Amino acid sequence: MNNLAKFTIGIFLTLGMAWLAFVVGARSQFGDLVPTSEVLEDDGSVPVDAELFPTSLSGMAKQGAEEYAALGCVTCHTQQVRRVEAGFDVERGWGKRPSAPRDYVLQEHVLLGNSRIGPDLANVGLREHSDNWLHQHLFEPQSIFPSSLCPPSPFLYQQIDEPVKSDIEIVSNENADGNRFVRPTVRASRLVSYLQELKQDYELPEVSFVEVEEDVIEEEVVSTDISVVSTGAPKWLQDQIDTGKEIYMKAAPGGGMCFTCHQQNGQGLAGQFPPLAGSDWVLGDKERLIKISMYGLMGEIEVNGVKYNNVMAPPGIPPGSLTDEQIASVLTYIRNDWGNSASAVSAEEVATVRESLKGRAPMQMFTAAELTTPVQ
Amino acid sequence: MSVDSPDKVIDRSAKLVFSFFLSSAGLWLLTAALLAYVAAAKLTDPFFLSTYEFLTYGKIKVAQANAFVYGWGGNAIFAVSIWILARLSQAEVRGSVFIVFAGVIWNLAITFGLLGIMDGHMSGHEMLEMPTEVWPAMLISYLIITFLVLVIHRSRQVRETIAPQWFILAALLWFPALFLIAWNGLEINPARGTLQTVLSMWYGQSLVWLWLTPVALGAAYYLIPAILGRTIDKYYLAIFGFWCIAALAPWSVVHHLEGGPVPMWIPAIGTVMSIAMVFPIAVASTNFHATAFMDIGKVWDSLPLRFVIFGTLSYTVSSYIGVVFSLPAVAKITQFTIINEFHFNQRVYGFFSMIIFGAVYFALPRITGKEIPKAAKSFHFWTSTLGVLMLLLAYLIGGLTHGVLAGQPSLPWASSVIQSIQPYFLITKFAFIILAFSQFVFVVNVWRVIFPNPFAFFAADDKEASA
Repeated sequence: MNNLAKFTIGIFLTLGMAWLAFVVGARSQFGDLVPTSEVLEDDGSVPVDAELFPTSLSGMAKQGAEEYAALGCVTCHTQQVRRVEAGFDVERGWGKRPSAPRDYVLQEHVLLGNSRIGPDLANVGLREHSDNWLHQHLFEPQSIFPSSLCPPSPFLYQQIDEPVKSDIEIVSNENADGNRFVRPTVRASRLVSYLQELKQDYELPEVSFVEVEEDVIEEEVVSTDISVVSTGAPKWLQDQIDTGKEIYMKAAPGGGMCFTCHQQNGQGLAGQFPPLAGSDWVLGDKERLIKISMYGLMGEIEVNGVKYNNVMAPPGIPPGSLTDEQIASVLTYIRNDWGNSASAVSAEEVATVRESLKGRAPMQMFTAAELTTPVQ
Repeated sequence: MSVDSPDKVIDRSAKLVFSFFLSSAGLWLLTAALLAYVAAAKLTDPFFLSTYEFLTYGKIKVAQANAFVYGWGGNAIFAVSIWILARLSQAEVRGSVFIVFAGVIWNLAITFGLLGIMDGHMSGHEMLEMPTEVWPAMLISYLIITFLVLVIHRSRQVRETIAPQWFILAALLWFPALFLIAWNGLEINPARGTLQTVLSMWYGQSLVWLWLTPVALGAAYYLIPAILGRTIDKYYLAIFGFWCIAALAPWSVVHHLEGGPVPMWIPAIGTVMSIAMVFPIAVASTNFHATAFMDIGKVWDSLPLRFVIFGTLSYTVSSYIGVVFSLPAVAKITQFTIINEFHFNQRVYGFFSMIIFGAVYFALPRITGKEIPKAAKSFHFWTSTLGVLMLLLAYLIGGLTHGVLAGQPSLPWASSVIQSIQPYFLITKFAFIILAFSQFVFVVNVWRVIFPNPFAFFAADDKEASA
């Protein structure tokens, strides 16, 4: 300890051992990974004409990665799907499988990150956001998610007074003066193309897709909602409400995807989508509700004295595909959650209305005016 | 001229470099405080200053961490280690002009580095975000300073070395080694894929464990016996504690990669070594607190020591919490949450900065011969304590909330998970305001002693204080 030279050698030796492991050792273990095919031949070789993964980013996307790094997006966004036993990432739908070291070998900037104030972005390109959606999100995240903490980046856009077709409309729920139009700069377009190319949608010999057990998730949906479970309703009603909630929350065939606009809490989005909680429409005439659930609704509608003007496609995936039972359940649900309490809707009632609309062309949306004028 | 005691002569020789590094450290501390406030305000209102690209959250947050670690941390480390080593070596500081010159380069490099970050030249490597252009200047100026510090140490009167010297020398020598390894692996001879992340994470976390932490521990090993006038209790354990940190800390830091796209042995080793860190933590804790609690009244009366003991207590608590959070079962919840902020701020504010404040309040009157008013120090202590505790509690509870809610896949992200932790960001914003205020008081305290006569106004105040 008293000889500076020996002391120095000692402290560098301890540091050096960790360096040997994490830098030299790790590099020799996986520093030479190369793209490979999804499945290998029996002898471990890559099939001759197989497509190799990962693929390299396009030129535009590479420039987008530079922007992503320069703006410090990595401060709040990770780009890694953890192994199933280490986290909830796959369950949350952030990826089809855990990320593997090989996924990153062609990236110049490896931005794994270690903080998630924003969601993971390793597979943002798989979420089927349109370019315009991403642009709107970059320009003003709060116009899409009002409670988002993501910093708006108006400096990447030009605000346009006289929009042309290619400009992007920012549908704002706060701005009463009407919507704004913006034109992306080239930097914004690079970022968007980078985000769109972030996807790990291939399997690798070392890692395959994870089967997510849907039932498990749905169970959780039901069990986390105390208000529904504790109503003490008769069993048939409770069953109908539970099924209805499932349809309300489901974004897959057989579901209604209602929560995407009206939100999980039934509050809608101010200025865009009317609330269902406490709504005079939801608690009112059942027939109107059934009609909307079959055919959708467009144009101006006044809910609780507030005017909305938007389009509601016929619910269901594909649109308009909900059966009588499903419509009855989901309507019963929305009439009996979030403090709502109104009579249940039965499949027979739905069938009667469907019969009365026999001649109507499929997908021909109703307008509020049509529904409020008494039908002769 | 009358004959001065050797300590006085040494103090006088250290005056120029100490004052220089301390006053620059103070300016960096205020810069970091301002940036921290802006970043925290942006998390409570995303539209705050959102039209300025150079102030966007990602840049500000990173600039704040760099200003804090390299600006405040670096300058404070230079100031405190030069003085403590000179005192322990009973050797005068030589080549002050060169040290100050190198210090100017160090500060300029960080200034340009931060401007580079805000101008969009961030590298994206953890704690190495400053553009590569300033790295050579940082390394060269650092090596000049360290060389001259080693010269002081080499000219020591007593050959035997003690704990503060080991910790401080090791920290001074580890930094350039870490920096060179990271530079080589990231830029000169860049690794591909997630190797980059392993390396930059290793560097970023080691910087805290092998640079900031040992200097603060060394200062505590020096100050506690010096102020209390008694030897460290169970001092024979210190050498074990030192080598445990040297051997384990560089391994333990990688447990943050748990579950990520790296070979599993990397986070696994990190976790095992993190658990083993209970030994050096226990040693330091025993040494400090067994000594301090023998004379707790004196600890309370001496403000410098109160700062130091706050720091060592914080070190003990935060390190044990760190061990718990490195366990895979807990990491599953806390990984990637704002618990990370808890760890970072606990280290740099609650532990490192508090001990540095104590060291400065102890050293400055001896070096300049001027006393800092007790009320001012006391005010600084209480505002710091309040700010730090508020900040850490908010990040800890907020982080656990964040983790638990994020682990429920049915909860939507922005409208549920993030919205639930927003109140905690509001608390951190107020905590950062309090801390900024407290640090302003610190800097005023220091500057008034270093520059007693910038304006007649201050001079008049000084007379009052000494009267």
